[in-house]
Amino acid sequence: MKELTVGSDAPGERLFLLGNEAIARGAIEAGVQVAAAYPGTPSSEIMETLAGVAQQLGIYVEWSTNEKVAFEVAFAASLSGLRALASMKHVGLNVAHDAVMTASYAGARGGMVLLVADDPWAWSSQSEQDSRYVAEQGYLPVLEPSSVAEARDMMVDAFRLSEEFHHPFMVRSVTRISHGRSDVTLGEISKERRQGHFAKDPARMVFTPSGARKNRPLMIDRFNQIKQAVDTFPGNHLELKNGARLGIIACGLSYSYTREALKWLGLEGQVSLLKIGTPHPLPERLVKELLEAVPEVLVAEELDPFVELHVKAIAGGSNIRVNIHGKDLIPLVGELSTRLLTEAIARLTNSRLPIDFAAIDKLGAELAPLLPARPPTLCPGCPHRASQYALKMAGKRVAREYGQDAEAVYPGDIGCYTLSYLPPIESMDVVLCMGASFGIANGLAHVLDTPVIGQLGDSTFFHSGIPALLNAVFNKAKVTMVILDNTATAMTGFQPHPGTGYTATGEKTTMVKPEDIARACGVEFVEVVDPFDLKQATDVMERAIRFNGPSVVVSRRPCTIIDQRNKKKAGEETIIYHIDQERCDGKCEACIKLLGCPAITKDDGRTIIDDTLCTGCGLCVYTCPYHAILKGVPE
Amino acid sequence: MRPLCLHLPVSRHTKGGARIVAEYNVLIAGVGGQGVILISELLGNAAVRDGINVRGSEVLGMAVRGGPVVSIIRLGSDVYGPLIPAGKGDILIALEPSEALRNSTHLSPSSKVILNTETTVPFTVPLGESTYPAMDEIIARLNKVSSEIISLNAREIAVEAGSSLSANIVMLGAAFGAGQLPIKLDTIKEAIQAHFPAKLATINIKAFDLGYQQSRVHHQ
Ligand SMILES: Cc1ncc(C[n+]2csc(CCOP(=O)(O)OP(=O)(O)O)c2C)c(N)n1
Repeated sequence: MKELTVGSDAPGERLFLLGNEAIARGAIEAGVQVAAAYPGTPSSEIMETLAGVAQQLGIYVEWSTNEKVAFEVAFAASLSGLRALASMKHVGLNVAHDAVMTASYAGARGGMVLLVADDPWAWSSQSEQDSRYVAEQGYLPVLEPSSVAEARDMMVDAFRLSEEFHHPFMVRSVTRISHGRSDVTLGEISKERRQGHFAKDPARMVFTPSGARKNRPLMIDRFNQIKQAVDTFPGNHLELKNGARLGIIACGLSYSYTREALKWLGLEGQVSLLKIGTPHPLPERLVKELLEAVPEVLVAEELDPFVELHVKAIAGGSNIRVNIHGKDLIPLVGELSTRLLTEAIARLTNSRLPIDFAAIDKLGAELAPLLPARPPTLCPGCPHRASQYALKMAGKRVAREYGQDAEAVYPGDIGCYTLSYLPPIESMDVVLCMGASFGIANGLAHVLDTPVIGQLGDSTFFHSGIPALLNAVFNKAKVTMVILDNTATAMTGFQPHPGTGYTATGEKTTMVKPEDIARACGVEFVEVVDPFDLKQATDVMERAIRFNGPSVVVSRRPCTIIDQRNKKKAGEETIIYHIDQERCDGKCEACIKLLGCPAITKDDGRTIIDDTLCTGCGLCVYTCPYHAILKGVPE
Repeated sequence: MRPLCLHLPVSRHTKGGARIVAEYNVLIAGVGGQGVILISELLGNAAVRDGINVRGSEVLGMAVRGGPVVSIIRLGSDVYGPLIPAGKGDILIALEPSEALRNSTHLSPSSKVILNTETTVPFTVPLGESTYPAMDEIIARLNKVSSEIISLNAREIAVEAGSSLSANIVMLGAAFGAGQLPIKLDTIKEAIQAHFPAKLATINIKAFDLGYQQSRVHHQ
């Protein structure tokens, strides 16, 4: 029997899927023809899954240079009558924001779905952010699944509804949906393949001021029609219980936690429950029905009190006297859990807690000081570590000349290299959002009298670094801009970008070099270095910092993970290093303290290199005052 | 032993012959690169084959870069959410001792811990920023929050099976050896067979069997 996969046309079969695979599966079943994204945890596997079946199923899939472009690519397909998907993480939506806001004015032709994955507790993000506010601002209806299986269903629904109402739809996922797993029953895959056709209609598609005025009422009209329809949408569901004093409005994933909490508390059947699958617009009739049936209501939702505020508005607007709770009892920070719901419901119903949570917390507090800190760190052999080391040395050399206490300032960016803000490297002073290193560097250069060194990764450079680089030339900012080119979007799982020379589906394409772009932008100092040639790299960076004008250094070395993989494939040997114990005094620990490389560790007072971790980069050789670090394994 | 089935007699079985459970919560903990996620994928695939309802989730965060990895698999008819409610963990498969401790607050008093004794000491320890607890301390603390600890050196056993990379599968075998997982032995082995190319499958089945036997011995 052939193994089932996420692309199998096998309706009724069950498959164990990651949430993002289930989301991709929903798009596949809906007959998506164009899908575009920029990677970002926890959303990346959606496009990876689609890329994997693109050829087999005739779907055009691309990794775009950033989220705005991804949205525009997908939206163009929708305008041409095809079903299209753009997916991104919450902060990616900020990048796409401008396009999204006017897209809802234009409306959709082929079903247009924007999948946004929020990240409560910011497991892999620079912020927690509730994307539903953006949707509200743009009159985008939002579907929010309560489980992995429902995520698949809702993707199918979203495409259908988008087409029915000629309006783009958002599906909001969260980390525990996208990176949740579940058995999922497969549905049928739509075989429909449409030919793109662009029906010209400038009055509706060209957004001048008059176009905006004409289209805004049409958009509001479409939105109101959707509002009428959501009361009967199957993702919304009201269970009224006779005599219940408490009603719970549970949006998206919080519905799963609520069901478990009610069971845990033994309150099943005693509480009325409204499951919300469309936080925007809310099913107003169902909400009112619940509000009128109970004196006390709890609203549960991930992140901000979005539904809560609207429920309160509905209660106020309809003069319904009811106590509405939400973020007063459930924390505003972090992700929800069965426990948090259990505690909130217990308080509102005066129920006994099923277990002693305080004892668990006490235990946790006792354990905390015993546990070793295990922060993420640059891998052994990571070229970023070498680049940072060179940059710090170069910065120090030049800063000295600005005064005794002068220090270079290092605006950093988002990628694996962000980890070097931590000790012992500490080479990032401010990290805001993707591309901001160069923008912040521009600003600092105009107000500080000290070297300013901005740095970002290659994927980040193509994503949003170029405008700020151009700005430095235009506005004569004396900044050094370093591009840490590991030929990978490493942090999010090695997705291709314009510098890798291949596309999402593995096709060969033009390999774009950041140094060519820098030169084309008018930067006069542009050099490429190999960070593992530490001396040369440091010297070039020093010259770049001294250069009177914007300067660019591309520090190029493939990501070690990729390099090791390639070597393994090619059967190439990795020559590692060891520490000669006769020369090492075991106490200086300069290698450990300067680099924080996970491969250098202590064993019984000795400083040693872990031969299972070392990848032979040789950076530690430069740090040893005793010349005790030698190539090869000891005889 | 805590009853596995809260509402159904223990003898009930699914169509596939697996035991029906109301809720059985598996927590798998380790550090990036140890193969935590593979264990949960295999458990999930096997559960589906056995007709058992399965939910779960994982947090990788920035785990590829050496951080902690936790994956959750929940089996049974009463399971909705992707997270194990605090205090409801039935089994902790810990690929690293200090990570076992870090996640021990999830356990219920009747839970079991399958503990790989091989440590992965983070770089913060040689840097002098934190300390690594002694193994005795770890075991003593785990004993307080679980009913049984089955400890083994998974890497050594994996080497015996043919590859140190199979340490995670040794741990999976040991978890089955503890005797409570509602998935059938044949089914989990099928899932292992299906996941690996033939040569690696043989090694991994051996790793599984050795882990299984090790924890059986422990039981006697
Ligand atoms: C707007 C936005 N989109 C996506 C992300 C997710 N993200 C974090 S780092 C990163 C890419 C990093 O690649 P690169 O700059 O090449 O650095 P590397 O990780 O390879 O060192 C991405 C896509 C984000 N934080 N913000």
